[in-house]
Amino acid sequence: MLLSSLLLIPALGALIISLWPSQLEPRQARLGSLITLSIALTLSLYLASQFDISNPGFQFAEQINWLEPLGLTYSLAVDGIALPLVIINSLLSLVSVYISGEVKRPRLYYVMLLLISSAVSGAFLAHNLMLFFIFYELELIPLYLLIAIWGGARRGYAATKFLIYTAFSGILILGAFLGLGLLSGTGSFDYDPALAQTLTMAQQTVLMGALLVGFGIKIPLVPFHTWLPDAHVEASTPVSVLLAGVLLKLGTYGILRFCVGLFPDAWLQLSPWLAWWAVVSVLYGSLAAIAQTDMKKMVAYSSVGHMGYILLAAAAATPLSILGTEMQMVSHGLISALMFLLVGIVHKKAGTRDLTILSGLMAPERGLPFVGSVMILGAMASAGIPGMVGFISEFIVFRGSFEQYAPQTLLCMVGSGLTAVYFLLMINRVFFGRLNVSLPQLGTPVDTLISGVKWRDRLPALALVLLIFAFGLQPEWMTRWMESTTTTFVSTAQQVAVQSGEKPQMNNAL
Amino acid sequence: MTKTSSETKAPSKTLFKAAPVYSSSDYIDRLVAGETLLPETPENLKEVVGVLDAYGIVLDAYSINLNYIAEHQFLKLVPIFKYFNGEITPQKILKHLWHDRINYEYAEYVMRTMMWHGGGGLETYLDSDDFWACCSPAIQAKIRLNPILRSLNATFPNFLPEQVRQLCYYSGLGQFWRVMSDAFMYLARSYNQGKIKSLAEVVALVKSELVANATQPITYSVEIGGTQYDIIPESVGLTFLPDTAVPYVETIFLRGAPFFGTVSYNAQAQQVPIDQAQFAYGALFADPLPIGGAGIPPTLLMQDMRHYVPDYLREIYQRSKRGQDDIRVQLGQSFQKSMFCVTEAAVRGMMPYAPDTEDPKEQVLNRDYLSGWMKRLSESRLDVVQIKD
Amino acid sequence: MQFLIQWSWLIPMYGLVGALLALPWATRLIRRTGPRPAMYINVLMTALASLHGLLLMQAIWNTGTQVVSFEWLSVAGLNLSASLDLSAVNLIFLELTVGLSLLAQVFAMGYLEKDWALARFFALMGFFEGAISGVILSSSLFSSYFLLEMLTLSTYLIVGFWYAQPLVITAARDAFLTKRVGDVLLFMGLIALSTYAGSLRFDDLYNWVKNAEITPLAATLTGLALIAGPTGKCAQFPLHLWLDEAMEGPSPASILRNSVVVTCGAYVLIKLQPVVVISPITLDVLIAIGAITAVGASFVSLAQIDFKRTFSYSTSAYIGLVFIAVGTEWPGVAFMLLFTHALGKALIFMSVGSIIYSTNNQDLTELGGLWSRMPATTIAYLTGSLGLTGILPFGCFWAFCLGIEFLWQEHPLLVGVFLLVNFVTVLNLVRVYRLVFLGQPQPKTHRTPEVGWLMAVPMVTLSTIVLLVPGIMWRMALLPPLAYFNLAAIAVLVGSGVLGLAVGWYLPLNRAWSRSSMMWLRVLQDWLGNDFYTEKLYEGTVVRLVSRLSALSNWLDRYVIDGAVNFVGAASLLSGEGLKYSASGRSQNYILTIMLGVGLVALMTTWKMW
Repeated sequence: MLLSSLLLIPALGALIISLWPSQLEPRQARLGSLITLSIALTLSLYLASQFDISNPGFQFAEQINWLEPLGLTYSLAVDGIALPLVIINSLLSLVSVYISGEVKRPRLYYVMLLLISSAVSGAFLAHNLMLFFIFYELELIPLYLLIAIWGGARRGYAATKFLIYTAFSGILILGAFLGLGLLSGTGSFDYDPALAQTLTMAQQTVLMGALLVGFGIKIPLVPFHTWLPDAHVEASTPVSVLLAGVLLKLGTYGILRFCVGLFPDAWLQLSPWLAWWAVVSVLYGSLAAIAQTDMKKMVAYSSVGHMGYILLAAAAATPLSILGTEMQMVSHGLISALMFLLVGIVHKKAGTRDLTILSGLMAPERGLPFVGSVMILGAMASAGIPGMVGFISEFIVFRGSFEQYAPQTLLCMVGSGLTAVYFLLMINRVFFGRLNVSLPQLGTPVDTLISGVKWRDRLPALALVLLIFAFGLQPEWMTRWMESTTTTFVSTAQQVAVQSGEKPQMNNAL
Repeated sequence: MTKTSSETKAPSKTLFKAAPVYSSSDYIDRLVAGETLLPETPENLKEVVGVLDAYGIVLDAYSINLNYIAEHQFLKLVPIFKYFNGEITPQKILKHLWHDRINYEYAEYVMRTMMWHGGGGLETYLDSDDFWACCSPAIQAKIRLNPILRSLNATFPNFLPEQVRQLCYYSGLGQFWRVMSDAFMYLARSYNQGKIKSLAEVVALVKSELVANATQPITYSVEIGGTQYDIIPESVGLTFLPDTAVPYVETIFLRGAPFFGTVSYNAQAQQVPIDQAQFAYGALFADPLPIGGAGIPPTLLMQDMRHYVPDYLREIYQRSKRGQDDIRVQLGQSFQKSMFCVTEAAVRGMMPYAPDTEDPKEQVLNRDYLSGWMKRLSESRLDVVQIKD
Repeated sequence: MQFLIQWSWLIPMYGLVGALLALPWATRLIRRTGPRPAMYINVLMTALASLHGLLLMQAIWNTGTQVVSFEWLSVAGLNLSASLDLSAVNLIFLELTVGLSLLAQVFAMGYLEKDWALARFFALMGFFEGAISGVILSSSLFSSYFLLEMLTLSTYLIVGFWYAQPLVITAARDAFLTKRVGDVLLFMGLIALSTYAGSLRFDDLYNWVKNAEITPLAATLTGLALIAGPTGKCAQFPLHLWLDEAMEGPSPASILRNSVVVTCGAYVLIKLQPVVVISPITLDVLIAIGAITAVGASFVSLAQIDFKRTFSYSTSAYIGLVFIAVGTEWPGVAFMLLFTHALGKALIFMSVGSIIYSTNNQDLTELGGLWSRMPATTIAYLTGSLGLTGILPFGCFWAFCLGIEFLWQEHPLLVGVFLLVNFVTVLNLVRVYRLVFLGQPQPKTHRTPEVGWLMAVPMVTLSTIVLLVPGIMWRMALLPPLAYFNLAAIAVLVGSGVLGLAVGWYLPLNRAWSRSSMMWLRVLQDWLGNDFYTEKLYEGTVVRLVSRLSALSNWLDRYVIDGAVNFVGAASLLSGEGLKYSASGRSQNYILTIMLGVGLVALMTTWKMW
């Protein structure tokens, strides 16, 4: 019941808030959500404490037969790949509720946030393809509404774009799952690498390709990425935190779990090309980030670049690189959440995110020195400066991938250098120099416009920074949960591939 | 790499679109008509008097310390306790280490800036043979028993005399600030007693204090081994107004020195003028906004004043958007306003004829004198302090 | 004594702890009282680190080299460990860096007395020092890289200390990015080595090199990547521009930057040298980089009118010689050169800082006549000059002499480079001495009393040390017996110095007309003065390429990809109507959502029939 309660508690919280008989103050709705998500976070930490780190397989399995003819069972289980993501989800959901201030229609707003949290937990915990798909789709609608109702000026455009893209992604994934069930002749939707073994290579490739594009949209990979910057720009800060920190991980989780896990042969065959795709994604995302003048858009494009590393590592599929994918997911979750959080504070206080307008926010008395200092840390973490979690994740990713795809890995490392370029541009423009936030429409001396940031609002950023440092200095605390699963994850897949007897040649470059 | 203008974003006057635009003749008209340079508002009055109140208290401490160093730390090479004014107790040492103290470094910074720019009778005297004749015996007396200093003095003949010149500036600035501190404290007392109702009265009071002390002699002597040595004897004839006040206004209010935190010293960038007379970094020119940041020395002064802000001023600051969180910047802004009042007092004090003279010839000369000043102030923050909240 | 060794990991920690303890003031948690306690704490921490190092040195004297290892991370067959190599050489360099850091911090107590952001500065100095001492002691490439990157970060933050000053902003950015280019390349080399050799400990790497099976191409690429990091850190051509700009930072940081930081980068290079030998081309490249930088930077330094910059270029030149020594596989020369250069250059920069402090100026043409009023500063400058140049028996003489001696037979051309650097350095030191200390006082040097004791004491201390260095080296048996020295080598070395002195002394200097009135000379002056227009070169190549590419990808995104998406969306879905994406179209979007949902459910319930 432990796993079920992880997704039921937020759902229950959502239910209670939506059905609360009397008028709910925004404050009360927020408090209710905070309590709900604190319980969920505590539970997920409890789950971690009970988790057997030496067991590479699925644990805490729960199963209820549901629509058996459809092959749909309510089956939950957790392993070392899902567990860290479940915890990150609980944590960032809590953060995003915490930083939600005054909102219109608070009841609906918090219900939607809780539903997303519940659905995402469900997707990570699901142990049945159909169940995964249902949760994957479930999370779309609240997110769509969160952008469409509480978003910025062009929210309609952004929300629709998001919806179309992800609906398309859903269709592809559903098609692939159905195809797998149908073609394998078993009608089973279990997480079982053996399912695909009866399929021909062509069939495997097609199905895996569908999954790849489907999840590639979610991650997002170039050229399926243009929904992301728009969605981020229009979404409010808490939604951006969730979107970048958690929801994108559904895509990479899907790639890892289903593309690599279910179709090892097809994956191996395509993987050199996938590694090149990762290169394109990384370099394109990073270069596009340099050209942005909106802080949020810059961070969004940086996400595109950094999620590309995960594809590279997944393509290499060595024990080390698979561990790297997982570490990079956690690291990107924490760092991008932090960056969006800070950009949100700047936007709220200074009234703009425009790099050509902002300047000198580091000024200690009238600027936002705390935000500036933490932003420097976040940027450095993102650029892979050691001591913070970004470095060790990238190191493992690159080290794990280099054995397989040396040229691609080296080119992806250029992206790591480019990260420094755009974030330094941002920090130099926004935080250094003379304090100056001149909104063109206001002719007043704007030096006095910015109000200070309260400690209450600094807390979540501080917590994330602490985690970024803790995992950066002591990566053991992060890897211990993942290692046994990620190590055997590949060997299982490889075993299956060997058994199938048509192992393609490893493309060993250099 | 690229040094584009968007990177640097120098502050521009366009920032202050709401600032009313006055020409220099507008200001001259106002001065002639008996109005103040700073707009006469109740808020401004409180700010100016309040900040001068705090400034008076801080100047008192600065002045005592400068005079102490000049008289009791004469040519000490390692003056560890120079900020203790002779009172060395464990408690005071602890407070000093915890940096719970007045930042005397600022007083020394001002002293050095004043010395570096020079000007007035003090500089002329220090370059003269008379000074050499006065300081040599003192130096000889001081180093008689110290072989290291003796050999240093023999090898580097200007080393110790230059130190003595610096001590003269310690003393000179200490005496000048003594007078100013008393004046500002007297102003604050008068205001608290309800005797001051307008900025014009503030200016008048400061002016009368300046005039009253104008001829007070500036002297300096030290005691070495029981003997008194005159370094600046009264016979030199240095006096308060021409030899300390006027150079002070010129060097501190107008010229100043470029702050590390805002100006590059890079020779190739040529941001700092070659001619010191072209310097415009003084108290009337500086931008108060970066106060509190790195490389902005006046932060020290604002930090010292923050402890002595009278309640009525604190209330004004409390009402602002950040409350007292940015009190040092607010103090800096008020301080700049008050310095315009002090400058105005000095300008009025040295005006060739009475401002309300009927003689057209005198009027013309007055206007010439004032327009000279307004030219100096044309790039100052005078326009900015005209903004009413 | 054993516990000193066990606790040796504390040495890098002292600085880091000092940095952490300074945070309450740096972050303005404590603001009613001033930031000076942060300053005292960091000075104390540095003193502790220095003391610990000294005691360790004694301990090691008896026991020989000790290695202290810590497992850091061991996952999926990859072992990453941090280990400290407590050898005599490492500890000498540790003392050098920590000692210089201590002196620079005391100097900063005076230099920055009027700066309210002291706590941040000292926190950064602590961080800086922690990272540097770690790099010096580290015996694995992984931890060296780890700490080098921390160094890059702290360089960015220290150069950016006066973040509101426009030139500082670009300087900090360029310092970070230039070093980062080197670092990313080094990172690539590191990843490759880790994959090929399986370990990143220097010992293991040295063993691996002996019978490495690796293609020549891979070896060359790896070797080149490995030397890129030190090239950036040591401000060598073509990654040298940042050091010039970094002079925008506070002078106490410049003291360290020109002595310790460059030493640190070169130190890693020396440790990497036995690995780099795997690729002979790389060694040649090292020599080429070193020679180009040594010659180029020497001439550029002559044309500078900025007090700090003229000596920062000379730093690049000296480290160029170190690169040559490493490339020709004479690490002993490299060590000695690094050691003696660091001391001399630190002293020169202290004297520069003291002059900037008392004259508010760093333009050489506006200075003059300071010598008789500023004894400590003058002595520091002169002693520093003695230490830097090939003058018997002071520091660099021995390094130069050995270098010339070793290269005499095989690389006569490189001997010329050594002599040239010595000649130009002497010439430049004399030129600057005449401009700054001699002649009539200028308006800006009219009143210049000697600086206070906080700045004077470090200058005097370091002057004494520089004068004692030959004795120390002799005591520690670091100098070869005199009989081994080639008299001809000594003669040409001394000759180059004397020539420099003579030319420097008789060179016509004109303050008002620092640019020559002769056309060809002026062009040459400008060319050198602007560092061969390297900045323009960067702008025209790398910067231009990146900005073009980023503009291109942005354009692609906006018009091609998004254009296609919008077009497809408009054409296919709601017959071109709903996808105006306007706010009023929201209801249609709801409908779309619901339709998708319903379709989904329908699909699932009719599963059987499919």
